[in-house]
Amino acid sequence: MKIFKTSLKWLFYALALVVIASFSIIPLFVLFKLSVSAPGETMAETLTNFTTWYWGNYTSAWNSSNLGTAIGNSLIITLGALVILIFVSSMAGYAIARSKKWYNQTFFKALLLSMMLPAVLTTVPLYIIMKFIHGINTYWAMILLLAAQTLPFSIFVYAGFIRGVPKEIEEAAIVDGCTPFTAFWRVVFPILKPVTASIVIIQGVSIWNNYGQAVYFLTQPNMETLPLAINSFFSKYSANWHEMAAAALIGIAPTIIVFVAFQRYFVKGLTAGAIKG
Amino acid sequence: MKMTKMTMSGALLALLATCTLTGCNKTSEAVTLTFLNGKSEVVDWIDTEIAAFETANPTIKVNQVFETDASSALKVDINAGDIPDITSVYETSLVNSGYYYDMSGLDAWSRVSGSIKELCTDPLTSKQYRLATNRATAGLFYNKDIFTACGITSEPTVWADFVSDLQKAVAKGYSGLYMGGSATWMLGHLMEFWGHGIIKESLGNVAANLAFINNDQTKLKFTGTNSPIKTFATKFLELKTDGVLNSDFLTASYDDQLENFATGKAAVISQGMWALSSIEKDNPSMHSKIGFMPYPSMDATLAPNPVILSDVDSGYSIMKASAHKDEAIKFLNFLWSSANQAEYCKLVSSPSAFTDVDDSDWSDISTVVDAALTKGTNIGYSSTPSGFGGGECGTLIQGLYIGDYTPDTFTTTYASDWNTAYTAANA
Amino acid sequence: MKLAKVRKSFSRAVGDNLHKWMILPAFLLFLTFVLIPLAFSFGLSFTSWNGIGKADFVGLANFATFFSDERAGNAVKNSVVFAACSVPLLNVLGLGYALLLDHKNSFNKVVKAIVYVPAVISPLIMGYIWLLVLKDNYGVIFTIFGLFGASGSYANLLGDKDLALVVIILINAFQYVGLTMTIYSAGLQSIPVDLYESASVDGASWWQKFLHITLPMLGPSILINIITNIIGSLGIFDLVVSLTSGGPGYHTETLSLYIYRLAYGARSGYASAIAVMMFFIILIPVLIAYFIMKKSNLYLNEDEG
Repeated sequence: MKIFKTSLKWLFYALALVVIASFSIIPLFVLFKLSVSAPGETMAETLTNFTTWYWGNYTSAWNSSNLGTAIGNSLIITLGALVILIFVSSMAGYAIARSKKWYNQTFFKALLLSMMLPAVLTTVPLYIIMKFIHGINTYWAMILLLAAQTLPFSIFVYAGFIRGVPKEIEEAAIVDGCTPFTAFWRVVFPILKPVTASIVIIQGVSIWNNYGQAVYFLTQPNMETLPLAINSFFSKYSANWHEMAAAALIGIAPTIIVFVAFQRYFVKGLTAGAIKG
Repeated sequence: MKMTKMTMSGALLALLATCTLTGCNKTSEAVTLTFLNGKSEVVDWIDTEIAAFETANPTIKVNQVFETDASSALKVDINAGDIPDITSVYETSLVNSGYYYDMSGLDAWSRVSGSIKELCTDPLTSKQYRLATNRATAGLFYNKDIFTACGITSEPTVWADFVSDLQKAVAKGYSGLYMGGSATWMLGHLMEFWGHGIIKESLGNVAANLAFINNDQTKLKFTGTNSPIKTFATKFLELKTDGVLNSDFLTASYDDQLENFATGKAAVISQGMWALSSIEKDNPSMHSKIGFMPYPSMDATLAPNPVILSDVDSGYSIMKASAHKDEAIKFLNFLWSSANQAEYCKLVSSPSAFTDVDDSDWSDISTVVDAALTKGTNIGYSSTPSGFGGGECGTLIQGLYIGDYTPDTFTTTYASDWNTAYTAANA
Repeated sequence: MKLAKVRKSFSRAVGDNLHKWMILPAFLLFLTFVLIPLAFSFGLSFTSWNGIGKADFVGLANFATFFSDERAGNAVKNSVVFAACSVPLLNVLGLGYALLLDHKNSFNKVVKAIVYVPAVISPLIMGYIWLLVLKDNYGVIFTIFGLFGASGSYANLLGDKDLALVVIILINAFQYVGLTMTIYSAGLQSIPVDLYESASVDGASWWQKFLHITLPMLGPSILINIITNIIGSLGIFDLVVSLTSGGPGYHTETLSLYIYRLAYGARSGYASAIAVMMFFIILIPVLIAYFIMKKSNLYLNEDEG
């Protein structure tokens, strides 16, 4: 009887998992099936056919849009922005966690408040500023802009985590002859690895997928990022769902790969950084 | 020691001077033009032409900037003080604020047809601030086979016949008038052709255009008896209640509309000639079945004739702030050469505005279209205030369809939104 | 000699004090790309700027208009309804998933990863995918109904004036439930196991354990999730644009979308004013949520943060 009850429980449990996983995977499934079906097929054929696989959509999607250049641009901008973001926000988080000075704490509150402001508020003045510094269609301006926009949450997470790191660690390094500045980089920063990893995932994905800013500030086709290329692909070839699906999957693949790779650190970093904050 | 330092700095200074001087020289030779373009379908063609132009004119470089919302981009450029030389954007509010260069004196006008030149003329100043190279036509595409199958022997010229013909098609299982209701610009066009069409037909195009630009409500009569807006709302709702609109009206897209027409499921669609190439791509054998007719009028007393859109397409303007107007004109003349324009006409499926361009094969249904143009009063697009254009009007029409408005409340909302936008844009 | 000494003490001074400037780069970035545009927009809200030319000062007129603007009221209502449904949905589902998948086995890890993946897809692409799934002509669901011969009975709910918003709520929830779930998972894992053990010894039921141990100890996770969800839902934009563009009519037009349309519709001054109001519309629920949670028996860390 007991075995029957337990195995029933396991069955129900497994069933629940399958249902949950299926729901989440529907969009990807649809996208995938579309991308490996020949353009002439109807939707019915696409959904029910599991025997023949047509890979031509990927090559035609790659050729007819700017995907290669776009991926390159996205990589440069995302990596650049992440490097700057981590450098700047870890330092700022440290300053806020350790120092009681009024300007640090006020800045922190301003950051928290800024998270509640809709991004749409800044688009027009931002455009004027970007034009003024001749930053339109440049890598460096986009990198700085996206780093700036992802600052608040990152600083929040770093500050929270650092509060939980005992001061003795830097103090020991200072006794050994480091300046407080070098002490941070040599001793504290390595401890922040889980947080850094979670920032890479959350903000990296957000920067990679950025459309609202990229659409205004990267207008030349050779400067397009991946979301822009995919979106213009959608508007140009809107009737050809198969090629669009292939293009979309090419666009999604990098984010999924990074997520899977960093997944371990992700949970650890979130626990420590966000929960303590 | 001292001597070497001095000679070194002296040499450095001399080098610097030479560099700046030669640098100055270089910049005065090469001119870079910026062309802000909002038409996505011609971007590649323009790039090819730019390459050819630059080869023939090594001192002039042209930089094409494509923006989906070129109108907003232009406004931000103006704000930032970084104005392009040439643009495809033409807006009345910008004309009135004096941002465009007066192109009336260009030689190219001698090659442009009189009617197009008239359409390009700004009614307030009687000058031309843009030159359009093509003509846009919009009307009702219909499927000849479906008409025959339903026993419709002639094109409907009055509203009652139009609706009953659509009902015959629906009775046989086709969609009557298939609209892509999620594309609000398409719904906005219905207002421009059917609603405003009444105004344009009764006043004549030039007077109507002036009335729109000045928001002259004594002529436009948006509110009050015989309001063309109320007529539109009432008749549009009739289309819905008579069951001749497609059942997926609210969620159908532009592509759905073209696909339904191309695959022979829809009897009639309201579209412009720009849609033709997509329809024929979906179904190449369509062109022998496509008919094209004007819009029967919604108000037979004020405006008895059917109307058909015949306005400009592919306009080019030079901004007044441009520092390189001569080079810009040179580039434009290159684009406007008859050989290049013949190519362009085929690309955009529309006839040329130039009288010396061989556009004989601009489309395989060109005879049908030309015939349609003679069967109805030719009207132009409406000058709408920025902030209340086709898209915004289309959203109101969606609301009308789902019952948020009655024809009366639709009319008052339309008029008030129009006035608010007009006041804001012309502040 | 003296020069060398001065140089050394100078670099020592710089090195020793460098840490005081650690906040500077962040501050400069924030200033240029966030603070200055915000100040500019805030200033714009007192004008009737139309996007080009000069801006005329109109004082508080824009704010007065906001309170009598029916369409603004509709946008606020849509955003508030959206948030009021999304926040509980995300949190109940997220917590439910987290509890269900709490055991540490590789199968659970895979499922958790699958649930999270939609969150890394950009909302625009997500919208396009669902458009295809939901559409009437040859959409996925339409085709499936057709396979059973019932294609006539399928209606695309995105065209229904009352249900379109519900559809968007569901799609949004199901895209971001992974994020909420991950935070709850992390929170669950940090609850000390002995708390549960001693409760078992005292004879507590599953429900009692949940109510008196799990929930309170999840305090920080609940706080983070609820606040980020409130902020995110009230500001929803991309998904609405790709699914309905605010339609049919204005039935799914959210506040962000209305502001965006005003800004590009020659009413930039008014748009900025509404955006300022939106800040308060977001701030108030966040503060209320924060104070409610502080007063409750949730175990929140008593930091200054």
